[in-house]
Amino acid sequence: MSPSGTTSSQNLERQVVRLRVRPKIGGETKGLARKRFYLIKGGLEANRNFVEALKQTHMLSRECYYRNVGASEAFIRWLKENDCESVYCREAEAKDVEGEKAVPEFRAAFANGRREFGSRELALKWLTVNLREEIRNGFYRRQQATLDALIKQAEDASKATVVSVMTDRKGTAYFTDLEPGTYLVSNLVPAEIGSKGILWTCELKIKTGAHGTETPFLISNQQDKNVKCIGLEQPLPACEKMDSRTSSFH
Amino acid sequence: MRRRIITLVIFAVAALAMFVCTRLSLNAEGAALSSLQRTARQRRVAPARSSSRATRNYGRFLHESNAHKKLSCNDCHKTPTSNWRTASGFPDVADYPAHDACINCHRQQFFKGARPVICTICHTRVSPRDESRFAFRHPSRARQFVAEFPHDKHQDVIARGGGGSFRPDASARTRFMPALFVATAHATQEKPTQYNNCAICHETNARLPAPPVGGWPDGFTPPAGTFKTVPTSHASCFNCHWKSVEPVRDNCAGCHKTASAASVALDASPRISNKFIHMREQHVAECTSCHIHITAATTLRGLKPDVPISTCAPCHKTSTDAEIVTLEKEFDRRKQDRNFTCAKCHTSEVGRRDVPTSHAALFE
Repeated sequence: MSPSGTTSSQNLERQVVRLRVRPKIGGETKGLARKRFYLIKGGLEANRNFVEALKQTHMLSRECYYRNVGASEAFIRWLKENDCESVYCREAEAKDVEGEKAVPEFRAAFANGRREFGSRELALKWLTVNLREEIRNGFYRRQQATLDALIKQAEDASKATVVSVMTDRKGTAYFTDLEPGTYLVSNLVPAEIGSKGILWTCELKIKTGAHGTETPFLISNQQDKNVKCIGLEQPLPACEKMDSRTSSFH
Repeated sequence: MRRRIITLVIFAVAALAMFVCTRLSLNAEGAALSSLQRTARQRRVAPARSSSRATRNYGRFLHESNAHKKLSCNDCHKTPTSNWRTASGFPDVADYPAHDACINCHRQQFFKGARPVICTICHTRVSPRDESRFAFRHPSRARQFVAEFPHDKHQDVIARGGGGSFRPDASARTRFMPALFVATAHATQEKPTQYNNCAICHETNARLPAPPVGGWPDGFTPPAGTFKTVPTSHASCFNCHWKSVEPVRDNCAGCHKTASAASVALDASPRISNKFIHMREQHVAECTSCHIHITAATTLRGLKPDVPISTCAPCHKTSTDAEIVTLEKEFDRRKQDRNFTCAKCHTSEVGRRDVPTSHAALFE
């Protein structure tokens, strides 16, 4: 796992970065869980054009996306209440598919599942297979398309493979097997936190040291003596109407 | 002349008797063979002509043979098979293909001798009266496929959101499905919201892990429940990949790649820190907190669920408690005594090796 694409794990200078992402959320500083961060060869200066491109990238909030594809209010509320970006975040419960508080999309998928599988249990457990695509994984696919394009841009510019890791529930992640050098650490698309989006584009220098030397790297949205990089925090953009056929914006 | 006529009549009667007996016998045979014959008659496919076939082992099915490679998976495997309700409990490929799938090319082998060897691929007994088959997949045969699974994509799909990133007011309580090695840890508490995590595919393995060749080092046997299972069925795949999300149920090659060499599933991954106990309350965390390479893994090839020392160090590097064995104390002991064996985490065959540079780097 080397940004330079080499695989020599015997090299005695391969090092580790312990990334900690701890933004202040609602008055409380805590780890930003389950967000993917990318490591790009070269620092801010070397990646200046790329960083500018990142800042110009159109951000589509979760709520705007689902409203644009015609999701029901109940569905959007389910995502918010469960703190989910997609239906794969957690399993739906019986109350979500039947009764007064049922989510219309889930109710329909559940009914289809019962017809198809002849089993309530299976219809609930396999709920997502009967959801329409935009609701099921459209947001993920859209974000992934943006990320793929950005990663390609970064790799073309840096001539090195971009590696990524995901933070755990405490907001910690490790980049391992790194050569000494200068890197850019970024989440590439702003992380949605409350009514704001935070984009990190942080320069990270790894000095020469013994193999396995760990470099702590704390990033946040607040200034602090241990914080190495502060993310660019912006209000979520207003929802624009999206052409559902092309997924582009008017 | 008269004698010749009598002889001819006897032969004719004998031939007729044999014909009638054969017909009666065939009529009395089981449904399996009858259906097989019907299929054979319907298809009227020319028997195999290749002389090299005579030397082939038709008791062993090879997905990788030249002829089989030309077929699509669903030319033979039907999805779901008719037995899914009883076999799997969910729509699944849970049985061997029907005779139709084979007889098109293997008519000759199907009718070769009283006990055609080709039957032994699927059937427990070669008899037209016994249709019973081996369990699917055959439990003791080497696997001809390896699975392809991008952990990174799946982590992204199931993990986005969650943990209060959207909701500034979200509480700090554990909201992810924990590693679940401790079965009773949260049993008495109010059930928290459970988020999908590794545990939706990797369940706690309740069996005692099989010992490595030569037995467990130092006689240290990891207790049952130490490891997670590796998914061996479609149970945790088809609930998303049934018909909507590619690779779907009949796109077998989307996940299954033919193995270059027959592969054998490991009961547990080789371990360096044999004494690590997942079940300790302090060790209950998200899997990826320690198995840090998983979220970056695009493929299973070369995937090692190893845990770098960096993930242990925050808790085990030092301690103010003199009773607690730490990395620092063992490291010091080793510096003083070259023969000291690190035993906090390792069994002796590992603990007496040279200290790896990754460990030493923690104290620089």
